[in-house]
Amino acid sequence: MTSLGGSSSSTTEYTVRVPKNTSKRYNIMAFNAGDRVNCSTWTQARMERDMSARRIYGDDESAEGAGGSEFGKKQRDEARRRKYGIITKEFKAEDQPWILKVNGKGGKRFKGLRKGGVTENASYYIFTQCPDGAFEAFPVNGWYNFTPQAKHRTLTAEEAEEEWGRRNKVVNHFSIMLQKRFREQERGGDDEDESEKTGKKKKNIGRGGELHITDLEDDLMMSSDNSDSSMGEDADGKSKAKKNVGKGKKKKRKSNDKEAVEESDDGDYEGLEVDYMSDESSSDEEPEKGKPSKTEEHLKGIDEASESEEESEEEKPNEEEAKEEEEEEEGKKTPVQTEKKKKKGKTGLIKQIRTWAKLCVCKKRTPPKRPSGRGSAGSSKTGSRPGTPSIDSATTSNTLRAAASKLEQGKRQNQGPTESPAAKRLKMDPSSQSPAPSGKSTPQPPSGKSTPSSSDVQLTEEAVRRYLIRKPMTTKDLLKKFQTKRTGLSSEQTVNVLAQILKRLNPERKIINDKMHFYLTE
Amino acid sequence: MRETMSEVNLNGVKQNKGVWLVKIPKYLSQQWEKATEKGEVGTITIGKKQGKTEVRFSLSEELTARGATGESDASLQVPRHHPLTMHTVKGQTMAVFSQTESEISLEGMVVHRAECRAVASDNYMKLKKLQIQESIKPQRFSQQLEKAVTHVFKPVANHSFNVAYQKKKKTEGKMVRAERQVVLDMLFSAFEKHHYYNIKDLVEITKQPVTYLKEIIREIGTYNSKGKHKNTWKLKREYRNYESEEEKDEEEMQTV
Repeated sequence: MTSLGGSSSSTTEYTVRVPKNTSKRYNIMAFNAGDRVNCSTWTQARMERDMSARRIYGDDESAEGAGGSEFGKKQRDEARRRKYGIITKEFKAEDQPWILKVNGKGGKRFKGLRKGGVTENASYYIFTQCPDGAFEAFPVNGWYNFTPQAKHRTLTAEEAEEEWGRRNKVVNHFSIMLQKRFREQERGGDDEDESEKTGKKKKNIGRGGELHITDLEDDLMMSSDNSDSSMGEDADGKSKAKKNVGKGKKKKRKSNDKEAVEESDDGDYEGLEVDYMSDESSSDEEPEKGKPSKTEEHLKGIDEASESEEESEEEKPNEEEAKEEEEEEEGKKTPVQTEKKKKKGKTGLIKQIRTWAKLCVCKKRTPPKRPSGRGSAGSSKTGSRPGTPSIDSATTSNTLRAAASKLEQGKRQNQGPTESPAAKRLKMDPSSQSPAPSGKSTPQPPSGKSTPSSSDVQLTEEAVRRYLIRKPMTTKDLLKKFQTKRTGLSSEQTVNVLAQILKRLNPERKIINDKMHFYLTE
Repeated sequence: MRETMSEVNLNGVKQNKGVWLVKIPKYLSQQWEKATEKGEVGTITIGKKQGKTEVRFSLSEELTARGATGESDASLQVPRHHPLTMHTVKGQTMAVFSQTESEISLEGMVVHRAECRAVASDNYMKLKKLQIQESIKPQRFSQQLEKAVTHVFKPVANHSFNVAYQKKKKTEGKMVRAERQVVLDMLFSAFEKHHYYNIKDLVEITKQPVTYLKEIIREIGTYNSKGKHKNTWKLKREYRNYESEEEKDEEEMQTV
């Protein structure tokens, strides 16, 4: 080492040696700065090559001469490969990744992947300083980038896609992994139970433990699965919240995971404004789709839930009479749920959940959505459609008739000024219920004899007039126009009503093709 | 091959050994390989000039020649002085590990990175020019053939290949039937090596006419018409005596 003098500069010289005869091969182990790896804290480390790729390369075949071998198989295979031009890459042990385990079982795991192209255009050397002051330079053989490996559970790609699709509805993300673990446990457990209760349980499992704000996804089958959510839930992070106690409708169609149900596309509901607890109903009903069915959203706090528990208790027995299928199903559900709950061992929450369940079942308070089954037990028109009666007071009508009449009254009011202070009044189909028990009902529209039905078709004088002006029609045609399903009237009634309308209108008659046509000129 | 999980020798990091990672241009590393046994290739000068730290590497005299050792060809001289630019390793944690046949050890942590630069002298430019010329040459090139490759053959009474083949056949003669027992022995020894054989391979091994061989093998073996080893012959169960587990499983399955 020589050092030269000089006031402003001072230099020290060191010799550099490149040892020749070393069997050691030097490599670089590179970590990401963000991982904060401190090698000096390692007490113990183990490293090995990750040879899992060997199978893929197909070199892992049974040795020659072993059981099941064929004479000349290798040559034949190679000849075949050459003929077809298949070039298989060699399996180079040198290029395989490293697996580094630090601090034994409980410590970190790293995977080191070889970085290519390092030694192509320039060579890297490691300069170490020797005790005698000289530098020794060793060429770098390979560069491996080590990344830490996650030990925690992760979602697979499919599961991640699923959860992504539900991101708008799920608030409690912590429970997602919990659910996954639970699911795995169950699958490992008895499969019998699962198969039994697939229909209901599956849905519950799938959604259980997650917070549902809206259930717009089930737009195919409206309120069959009313899922209520509670704001209070938010506080409790891990609570396996509400189950869907769907009110079964006549046409029960649950969107099971197994069923191929049309699901709303992701992003369909992005811009929707959702009312939570407003006193006004939405002025326009949502556009009716082919199968109108949206569930009502119903947010309540836990407190309210407990309050209404009494009422719900009261209601429950009544409802049990009225609803046949629904009740069964519901009954099935609650035990299922409670069972489930017990399994989970969260007894503390069971009560809360039960109250919610009952709450779902009977929504009074804000105008409960009477299941159509109740209101229109007689009419089988539209099956499981929720009616939206605007019944202000919590009613406990015992008989179907009473309920139906109340419904109508409600509807009458509905048409008028009063609103249903529904949280969110979605699709409904009031007319379906009304006509049956109440032959008398003929609410407002002065023209039409029929009670207002679905917005599409109404058997009113106005409508008939329109048709007849447009073109001459026979009675048959007219009847076709006012389909019984649409107007909610029975065929007899339609005929009567139509006859009356025609009398009033007194259209002109013409015979076309041997058939009597009516028409009007304006 | 290394044994599965080898314990890493952590002495280097425990002593907090710091090393430099230096990037050296190819031509320089080539020169270094020519170094003598002792391994001295040059010197590093670390100096402080007006507050800035300057590191320079100087190649030793003997290694400047680019031709064979000992010569000092004026036209092809590797430049001697190379400044090293130093960088810190803030953005990345790097360690150095070495492996031998028997063990892996962690040598130390990288504390500095450096790049060896070259001064733009005439020498250097010449050197680079040569390098570029070499690398520009394409790996695939066109070459004119003297004789065109034809796949169309002239009509000939008998092709040379055929003639040779027939001659060979004549000299070898037809395959002679050996004793039955001899053939059986040959077959058994063959089946000891492999389980499945093609008839053609057996013919080649035993050098027996096909029909004769077929007769014999029909005695002791069966033909796989389908399955994994299709169109192959295998020994009959009673003649088989393989030790492999697969065999046992197979037998079990048969009995069940």
